[in-house]
Amino acid sequence: MNKIKDSIIIGASAAGLSAAIYLKRQGIDFLVIAKEIGGEMALSGIVENYPGFPSTTGVELTQKFKEHIDKYNIEITNDEVIEINYFSPKEIETTENEFIVKGKKSDYFTKTIIIASGSNPKKLNIPGEDTFYHKGLSYCYVCVLPLFKNKTVAIIGGGNSALEAGIMANKICQKAYLINKNPEFKGDKFLFNQVSKFNKVEIIYNALTQEIYGEKFVHGIKYLDLNTKEIKDLKVDGVFVHIGLKPNSEFVPDEWGIKNEYREIIINELSATKVKGIFSAGDVTNIPYKQIGIAVGQGIISALSTINYLNKTKK
Amino acid sequence: MKKIIIYTTTNCPWCHTTKEFLKQKGYEYEERNVETNSGWANEMIQKSGQFGVPVIDIEGKIIVGFSPEEISQALNE
Repeated sequence: MNKIKDSIIIGASAAGLSAAIYLKRQGIDFLVIAKEIGGEMALSGIVENYPGFPSTTGVELTQKFKEHIDKYNIEITNDEVIEINYFSPKEIETTENEFIVKGKKSDYFTKTIIIASGSNPKKLNIPGEDTFYHKGLSYCYVCVLPLFKNKTVAIIGGGNSALEAGIMANKICQKAYLINKNPEFKGDKFLFNQVSKFNKVEIIYNALTQEIYGEKFVHGIKYLDLNTKEIKDLKVDGVFVHIGLKPNSEFVPDEWGIKNEYREIIINELSATKVKGIFSAGDVTNIPYKQIGIAVGQGIISALSTINYLNKTKK
Repeated sequence: MKKIIIYTTTNCPWCHTTKEFLKQKGYEYEERNVETNSGWANEMIQKSGQFGVPVIDIEGKIIVGFSPEEISQALNE
């Protein structure tokens, strides 16, 4: 059996790595378990709203975080968590617990857990989406849009990622359609104001994407015009889906009752859940603003709350 | 040592992870950034039949995405 740790951080993006730095500096015995470093932060394109970095990229910011944890000799345990549960069940909400973290490669034991597992792109769940994944359809404009130089693409979404993709498409593509199912964008006004002035980007509102079609590669999309109730067709070479994020919380037991209807982890102002010893931070939580800066702050709160909890329960 | 070619884009995090993985293992590789050379982009699409990056070509064995197990296997580790 692996030795019981004081804490295990699940996830190695902005929230998890910030928590790790704070735990390390307090001499806490902990592990960071993750499949990869950076998560959604690494997939961000240009980042211009993270204080101290007037203009950077998700990849560069991830590299800076990596340098920071390397300074403290914090290593990432490469594993994928499939389940967490009580190791020695006690009264929930009243006494301290011990937990087992089951990974694909090994089991780990701990007194506390910081769930910082982030989120993954949401899917449209429409015909053609799976068939044309990587065949012209992508959930990562940062990675794949550069391959669509002088081509026509559709970007589906109404938030910052879709707008950022529009900015990149304007530089690279011959034409981009920005397909929004709503009558307005939820993203930053600053980004919207840029995109709305581009000649190469055509914004289509109230458009519900119905199908992605093609042969070997994508040839086009069909969408329902919610104003006229007509199905319309757009010939495109690429489709970029940026419709929001789905929290990575499948491994958290439903019976704990700490997930909301969106499967986000419900936390209080101290990043604590109602299960003693379980903390959470970043995009996986019910905090509405999914931002790198906010994930960093929550990661720090979760670490400080963990340290406080461990000190109080120390025998 | 087997010849390794990696097809990348500039800001693709998985491309960086793949390069770091190979560096840590002590392997040399040739990087072909498809963003800067449309010939390489076509070559990558032709070899892999798709648009995702990274694509790793280990002497004809084509691997799409960062897959440490597949890379290690192709390098006979």
